[in-house]
Amino acid sequence: MNAAFNPEELQGNILRGYRSNMVRHLMLEVSDRAKARQFLAASADGTSSEIPAITRSANWKEKPKLCFNIGVTFEGLRALGTASRDLDSFPLEYAEGMAKRAVKLGDFGESAPEHWPAPFDQPDRIHIIASLYSDEEQYLDQTEAQVAKAFTVLGVRNGRNLPDNKVFFGYVDSISQPRFRHVFDPAQIKVDEPKDPLGTVLLGHPTHFEGMLFSIPQPDVLGRNGAFNAFRVLQQDAKGFEDYLDKAATQLLDHPKGDLLLAPEDEKRVGKDLDRHGALREVVAAQMCGRWRNGVPYELSPDAQYPEKEVSPTNYSYTRTSRCPAGAHMRRVNPRGGPIVQRVANYSRRLVRRGMSYGPDFDPENRDGAERGLLGNFIGANYGAQFEAVVCDWLNFGLQDPEITGTNDPLLGANVPETSAFELTLKDGGRIRLNGFPRFVKTRGGAYTFLPSLPAIRYLAQISD
Amino acid sequence: MSDDGGWLNNYVNSLPERGWFKFLSKYVVVPYWVWREPKPKLPGGPRPSSQPSDNVQRMMNLLMPLKDTSPIGRAKAVMALAQNVDEIFAGLDNVGTVHSARFLLVEDYICMISVYDGDFSNYIRDFIATIGSVFDDLMHLVEGGEALYPCEDHVEEFIDWVKAHDLFQAPDYAINLLHVQDEAAGRSPDAPPHELLSLPRELILQLHSNRNISLGGGYRGYPGYSAAQVRDKLGVGW
Repeated sequence: MNAAFNPEELQGNILRGYRSNMVRHLMLEVSDRAKARQFLAASADGTSSEIPAITRSANWKEKPKLCFNIGVTFEGLRALGTASRDLDSFPLEYAEGMAKRAVKLGDFGESAPEHWPAPFDQPDRIHIIASLYSDEEQYLDQTEAQVAKAFTVLGVRNGRNLPDNKVFFGYVDSISQPRFRHVFDPAQIKVDEPKDPLGTVLLGHPTHFEGMLFSIPQPDVLGRNGAFNAFRVLQQDAKGFEDYLDKAATQLLDHPKGDLLLAPEDEKRVGKDLDRHGALREVVAAQMCGRWRNGVPYELSPDAQYPEKEVSPTNYSYTRTSRCPAGAHMRRVNPRGGPIVQRVANYSRRLVRRGMSYGPDFDPENRDGAERGLLGNFIGANYGAQFEAVVCDWLNFGLQDPEITGTNDPLLGANVPETSAFELTLKDGGRIRLNGFPRFVKTRGGAYTFLPSLPAIRYLAQISD
Repeated sequence: MSDDGGWLNNYVNSLPERGWFKFLSKYVVVPYWVWREPKPKLPGGPRPSSQPSDNVQRMMNLLMPLKDTSPIGRAKAVMALAQNVDEIFAGLDNVGTVHSARFLLVEDYICMISVYDGDFSNYIRDFIATIGSVFDDLMHLVEGGEALYPCEDHVEEFIDWVKAHDLFQAPDYAINLLHVQDEAAGRSPDAPPHELLSLPRELILQLHSNRNISLGGGYRGYPGYSAAQVRDKLGVGW
């Protein structure tokens, strides 16, 4: 395909999503080193009918029935026999693992690792997370049985796509992704965001910062063309969110500046069948996220969820007078070219996001509190420079803009009703401050995994004791 | 120890000032305890906190040990910084989260003292990404610096090195030292509480491992505000 990398040597889930309907994540322990190595060798070669082949990055003519990829934790590298000299060359965040980074990631209170259910209550035992993608359950079952012959399966998490690519909060998701130099992605033809250098996700390639490379863990064959992944089990309190929208809309009905938030004549442009209360709910949801729930960016269409003229889902930036609030979730995690305090950081903390929902369907008309949420993969070349930087400084502390500093992300942040705050923007540049919302997303598990290249998997398979 | 009269109490209370006892403490008691209960060196910089106000105006006290502590060596270190001072200040300005920063030459160290907002590694990374090359000269002059040259190619190592040379910040309230030590030693929060009387000994043992420390997290004249918030309010841009 090009000289920058050989797609046959790259795990396929890094540079693109498979758009499968179902995913199954298997949390695995290496209980028998020899068997594990044998499995990895065969999986990298892809010649055995008894062992699933690692799905590569190469383009396919016909989509496989099942895609299979693995991520290895630091303890996993150790369990596979990686030399301690080589282990030392991996970054600190990865070596410590997600549970030990809890405070930085906002995983405290109910989200604290102490409260994570099995298998995430024993993070050191999770060595490999195998991810199986398919449109049909039988292939997942069949592959899980094959994997279970070589590893101890500590736990399983099943995910699926919700209709219309939505998440349980009702938003259409996965619209904006990094796009890479050297990679042709038909889904991103009309996107005009700056292209990201390959080093954003792949180790050993140029990064956003001129002249700066992220260190490649050693030996080179193990580290090069790998990527780091933050796997997160994020419980979404859909009932709590809808209930809060009710409450906020009711308050806004009587607010003296309510018409500056939503002019009465715009109500039907938010939703044909909505009354004023219903339309205000959607406005609050849209400002909190930065997109209307149908995916239209708030920045480009602040008065209408259904604008008369089509707007681009991806091509826009933010300014000091943006209608999209500085505290909106999307603007926090990706400020694009907009004004941020860390002047050198625009576009430098991009992440590849792959996620599917888990748990039962949610009916907003008939709300129940069952556990449901998102199984998310957040992929980048460096935790500290990307995932943790976004979660810590931008999502949870709002350092990027003086207006929101000290407040958390309204959707994902570690909020408590006593201190939570979010400012809605008004047509005249004014603000209405919302308070009293709870934490809508709780962490229920996860792990930092390394997504090794195919040569790296072969390397791990041939280590001898 | 008691303040009630009685010759024994008075004598015990006077022990810390008695020559033979000082000698015994210095050459026998402390070395014995260091052997019996060694304290690991505690990491530098502010500790992670979920409180937004703890995450602005964080203090960095970076002590970089000079290889050559003679006047000539010291002058080289001064020169390495002095010839790049404009770039360094411009770089700090562009990082955007720095309240103040200054350099000191104290004893055998060249020191960078600064107050910044947010995560430490982002601060250092953004700084190096902006002006990494100006630190290169200095890296030749400090112990352990060679492995970090050039900084732009060793950002993670540089961050780890800075963290290792940032002073341990003792808790603002002395009693919390026990908690910090427990956490470092992986002691369970359910373990029996410490005797309050043991605090002076624990402090002495910790100072054996961390010779130089910051006494608490420091004073703040406008707690809870970021550099950008202050600059925004004062109209100096952010």
